[in-house]
Amino acid sequence: MEKCIYFYFEIKQQNVAAEKYCPIKWQYLDCDKYKQTEMKPIRKENEFDVIIVGGGITGVGTARDCALRGLKALLLERFDFATGATGRNHGLLHSGARYAVTDEESATECIRENMILRRVARHCVEEHDGLFISLPEDDINYQTTFVEACRKAGIRADVIDPRQARIMEPSVNPALIGAVRVPDGSVDPFRLSTANVIDAREHGAVVKTYSEVVSLIRDGQRIIGVTVFNHYTHQTEEFYAPLTINAGGIWGHGIAAKVGIRVDMFPAKGSLLIFGHRVNNMVLNRCRKPANADILVPGDTVCVIGTTSSRVPFEECDHLSVTADEVDLLLSEGMKLAPELATTRILRAYAGVRPLVAADNDPSGRNISRGIVLMDHATRDGVEGFATITGGKLMTYRLMAEWATDLACRKLGVDKKCTTMTEPLPGSREEEVKTTARHHDMKPHVEASAFYRHGERAAKIDARNDLDTSLVCECEGVTVGEINYAVNELHVHSLVDLRKRTRLGMGTCQAEMCACRAAGIMGEALGCGHKAQDDLRSFLNERWKGVEPVAWGDTLRESEYSQWVYNAVCGME
Amino acid sequence: MNTTNDNNFEQCLKCSVCTVYCPVLEVNPLYPGPKQAGPDGERLRLKGAAFYDEALKYCLNCKRCEVACPSGVKIGDIIQLAKIKYSKKKPGLRENMLANTDFMGSLATKMAPVVNLSVGFKPVKMVMDSLFKIDAHRTFPSYASQTFEKWFRKNAASRQDEFPHHVTFFHGCYINYNYPQLGKDMVKVLNALGYGVHLMENEKCCGVALMSNGLIDKAKRQAEGNVENIRRSVKVDRREVIGASSTCIFTMRDEYPHILGVDNADVRDSINLATRFIYRLLDEGRVQLRFKKDYKAAIAYHTPCHMEKLGWSIYSTSLLRMIPGVKLTVLESHCCGIGGTYGFKKENYATSQAIGAPLFRQIETSGVDFVSTDCETCKWQIEMSTSLKVKHPISVLAEALDVEATFRLNSR
Amino acid sequence: MKFDTIIIGGGLSGLTCALRLQAGGRRCAVISAGQSALHFSSGSFDLLGLRADRSEIESPLDEVKHLREMHPYHKLGDKLPHYAAQAESLLAQWGIRVKGDARKNHFRYTPMGGLRPTWLTFSELAVADDSNACPGERVLVANFPGFLDFNTSFITDALCSRGAKCEVCLLDMDSVNRLRVSSTEMRAANIAKVFESEEALGELIAKINQMADGYDCVVLPAVFGFSDAGLATRIEEGVRTGVAFLPAMPPSVAGIRTQKQLRTEFERMGGVFIPGDEVVRADIEDGEVKKIYTRNHGEMGFSASNYVLATGHFMSGGLKADAQGVYEPVFGSDVYYLADRGEWFDKDFFRPQAYSTFGVETDAHCKVLFGARASKNLYAAGSVLCGADAMHELCGGGVSLLTALYVADEILK
Repeated sequence: MEKCIYFYFEIKQQNVAAEKYCPIKWQYLDCDKYKQTEMKPIRKENEFDVIIVGGGITGVGTARDCALRGLKALLLERFDFATGATGRNHGLLHSGARYAVTDEESATECIRENMILRRVARHCVEEHDGLFISLPEDDINYQTTFVEACRKAGIRADVIDPRQARIMEPSVNPALIGAVRVPDGSVDPFRLSTANVIDAREHGAVVKTYSEVVSLIRDGQRIIGVTVFNHYTHQTEEFYAPLTINAGGIWGHGIAAKVGIRVDMFPAKGSLLIFGHRVNNMVLNRCRKPANADILVPGDTVCVIGTTSSRVPFEECDHLSVTADEVDLLLSEGMKLAPELATTRILRAYAGVRPLVAADNDPSGRNISRGIVLMDHATRDGVEGFATITGGKLMTYRLMAEWATDLACRKLGVDKKCTTMTEPLPGSREEEVKTTARHHDMKPHVEASAFYRHGERAAKIDARNDLDTSLVCECEGVTVGEINYAVNELHVHSLVDLRKRTRLGMGTCQAEMCACRAAGIMGEALGCGHKAQDDLRSFLNERWKGVEPVAWGDTLRESEYSQWVYNAVCGME
Repeated sequence: MNTTNDNNFEQCLKCSVCTVYCPVLEVNPLYPGPKQAGPDGERLRLKGAAFYDEALKYCLNCKRCEVACPSGVKIGDIIQLAKIKYSKKKPGLRENMLANTDFMGSLATKMAPVVNLSVGFKPVKMVMDSLFKIDAHRTFPSYASQTFEKWFRKNAASRQDEFPHHVTFFHGCYINYNYPQLGKDMVKVLNALGYGVHLMENEKCCGVALMSNGLIDKAKRQAEGNVENIRRSVKVDRREVIGASSTCIFTMRDEYPHILGVDNADVRDSINLATRFIYRLLDEGRVQLRFKKDYKAAIAYHTPCHMEKLGWSIYSTSLLRMIPGVKLTVLESHCCGIGGTYGFKKENYATSQAIGAPLFRQIETSGVDFVSTDCETCKWQIEMSTSLKVKHPISVLAEALDVEATFRLNSR
Repeated sequence: MKFDTIIIGGGLSGLTCALRLQAGGRRCAVISAGQSALHFSSGSFDLLGLRADRSEIESPLDEVKHLREMHPYHKLGDKLPHYAAQAESLLAQWGIRVKGDARKNHFRYTPMGGLRPTWLTFSELAVADDSNACPGERVLVANFPGFLDFNTSFITDALCSRGAKCEVCLLDMDSVNRLRVSSTEMRAANIAKVFESEEALGELIAKINQMADGYDCVVLPAVFGFSDAGLATRIEEGVRTGVAFLPAMPPSVAGIRTQKQLRTEFERMGGVFIPGDEVVRADIEDGEVKKIYTRNHGEMGFSASNYVLATGHFMSGGLKADAQGVYEPVFGSDVYYLADRGEWFDKDFFRPQAYSTFGVETDAHCKVLFGARASKNLYAAGSVLCGADAMHELCGGGVSLLTALYVADEILK
């Protein structure tokens, strides 16, 4: 009870401005439900200041920024957070160096956001720096152009002796003739999304996943709300707000089209491969004009090579698959960065679609600016109460959210400055886990894994007894306690969601045993073994989708073992 | 070859078969198990040292996980390398005492009666227990008053050049300081086969105890010295290097390159265990054996862990089976629990005895006269924990051979 | 070292073949690269369980004729029933207690509580006569706290859907809980080792009896009998209600025990079992294997009159694949596979996969082909053979046992 009252004051203070705009009294309603809703105003439950459509990083970032500035925000996502491009990229914490020569504006944005994320999203970021290497077939003169461009954009770029580079990063191709060190790093997009969601919610935002916007509610030339279909309850609901922000990424095209507004997106598919372990500890880039498969990024327990680039029709965005040719290209190019990749197990292949805004008829999509596009459809298309935030990239999500929230505040007459460049995300606030609820003999790798993933929020993971610390996913060190925390507090509806919150099933074996174990725990949590089995089936298929394009060598051995266990032993169909 | 760089740990299918056969896990749940400590842990440790678990110290490096693994993962090597790379525990006085078998040996041999008396004396044992954390239940192997080397120089060295063939004998610390008789048996058997025995110049302890006690730099220096001397023996003197201890031989063949990074590829095949060496000579028809008519013994052979890993127990058991009067029982292969110096440490004593218990039961119910095995530390453990004596297969041969007749057969 | 026959692979197929040959007076060696797939056993040996349309087979012997042309069963021809009967009697002779009959499939329980048609099931495991059966009407599903490989929610769901009333209870025992100190080691085999002790067994039976009132059957995970299948019988005798043991997720305790029994029996008969080693190269002259060399024994090779390749499928390393193709790593024998990598897999994890049927090509006598010519003295047996889909036809155990016996006969001829 005490906690709830405290919350009330906190929110009240932040809502001074909001009350000015919308003078309604806030009142504490239901303590037990505070997890989902925290506070409810005496106004209709389905009325908000702003509705954000899309649970990618831009959407969750915008929801958080709105909530921090006291706006009553509703975030709607048709599946789960980070399902689209957010979760389907390298996880590269760009320094901006890659864009320095071709796109100075993007480069400048990148380095600024890079430095901000290191501060505010510490537990999502690995600060290991990167090397831009020149191989014998590359033009070494490009290095000079590159370094100058970096410096102009404010990116630190140190030319390194190739021998020194080999000591710094032993996996690098020993044939390199030049190297430049830049402040690249890696960022875990799932963790970053989750942290934004937690903070948004803790500041009063309402978050709904598996809630697909089927139509926008129109009142004349004004959008006043949305109609939503819930994929779990199969019910349709309406929500109202003076402003709806379209943050649907590549699917934003379709959302705008619902009210006849044309947002020309350029769906550029990029394929990537995940390797079984960290081959490199620094990001490896080719020092040349950006091309296919020239970035190798270490992140958590794995490393990722990418990407290819090809335009795909919109219909394909929901059913991407990686072709054998793409796999072969990624491998052969990847080996040029780190020859060891030739003998490293490939875990899976995946593809994403960059939400680029079309500018010309470039067939590759590489020359399009990564710049942020904010469209106020009132001024652009004469439709009030509707805006689209798109373009940009994972690195600049915070800035995109800031722009979108600035627009929201302007429209709603709220005068509140953005604080997301200084306010750390939940998980990045403390140097260590402060808790006394630790089991006396917790294994170091289990404890370290929990902290790695959740920062100081790992304190919320029950670890009081042997049962809590039992390992479910042995590859990634995911415990029963961590699963319970994710299921209870992090919007987990399925094993796929669970995977994104915890790394369950993302290790070497791609969920061989842990899938069944976790499904059992979910079954108990959901009180329905049958649903959990269906979920297990789709989870295993989701894992297989990424494994199948690269299933040879040990990956095939592993797959045969998994299929033996589930098909033959367990008799699943 | 480094197990991390060849990505060997990635062959792991997470099938957990290794955990079924880990003798430590069965009795000590504080040990995370070979799968977690090995391939799973290795992948996590690449993220940072915070993922290292000091409980890896409970691994006794028996390599039974590697024998069981259907995927060829060098689990034991991965664990040993991780201990070397990440452990923050620095070896203390006890580790130094246990590890420097040759230094301790050379000191102790000089004062053998005093040392033997005192380490067996109860108050001394209590001091060792409380001060050094060396378990009071342990009896240190007694030290001989004359080293094998000294005996050899005085009594055997001069005759060795007379034989038609020659080998270099790596006797190891145990034969030299604790049990010269086995060395004498070795000379007797090899001479009977027509082989002159020569000691290796500047032989150093193989280093297995240094490695398991965390004294890696010293182990590496000794390994480099030994490989250099082995190379001279093989390349210059044209003599194969043989030893009686399965652990010394295993260490020099496999742990040198895998754990210490000391390259022995050019001479590895010329480092051989005595029983395998003799078996091969017999197999190739180069020597023959004649046994005493009246030799009778019921023997149980125990397969030491490192023999299991080498896969060579078949040579020792085949030799023993050739002796007409021998009734041989091969015990089900099971770790005895000593793990070199592992079982001497106070914190491991209970684990060590619990691991060995099924083997001790097998031995006690086997109804044999004595146990035979190729490993000296297994011998200590079995003699400390059962009522039976243990003899090396070479000593059994030495007893059973009609030396004169054998020599005549082989010198024709 | 010289032997009459050397068998490469120490799993179900290799040891069956070796035991049969050893009994036939041949001196055999088995070279084994690590423990076998018996460790991942379903708890049963399948002969033929499902048709291509996924319907369940009642009489497997009658259905063999419908299998695809290259299925290894066809090599056995009309002697297949003979070998099935022989396998049944040999297993009994070797002390491996199973129940079932090749003439009519029974049903085994899956770790999910489902039922699948099968041929022989390890004696301690629960079986059923039809696919809609339950082990009781009022069932208590008992598990150890934290044993996540026994999925009580799936099992109760399955049993309830077939009409049983189920409840779940936890067997809280210090001796088992002790395993959880190591967060990773709560596995079937580790629990099984706990119950090697008399006290633990007694405590377990008392615990179950305390909770069994009002139920007619207690379902337990099949984690008993690491070295003695009789342990399960003792639990059944000690518990007041009926007891049904359902398999947990791998490793399989019964499978591990069986592996050990087969090896012990082989060694008892004088066979030489070489564990933890692998064949690295072979001298082959004109299709005849002369000598093989292993990692551990180096230049001291092994020679024999006949050789049997029983190295298993991909999982066991009998077949290897790279991005270009599939090969058999020991002898480089002819392998059936599809050239286009894109055709190896179905997009659906649960559908039959083309790669399952890849394997070594042999002639009618199971002699391995080199460049389409049969080897003089190299045979193949078990899952390394091409043509079977063990996972979707449910025929893995049968292919291993029957082809091993067939090959043994061919060699003994």
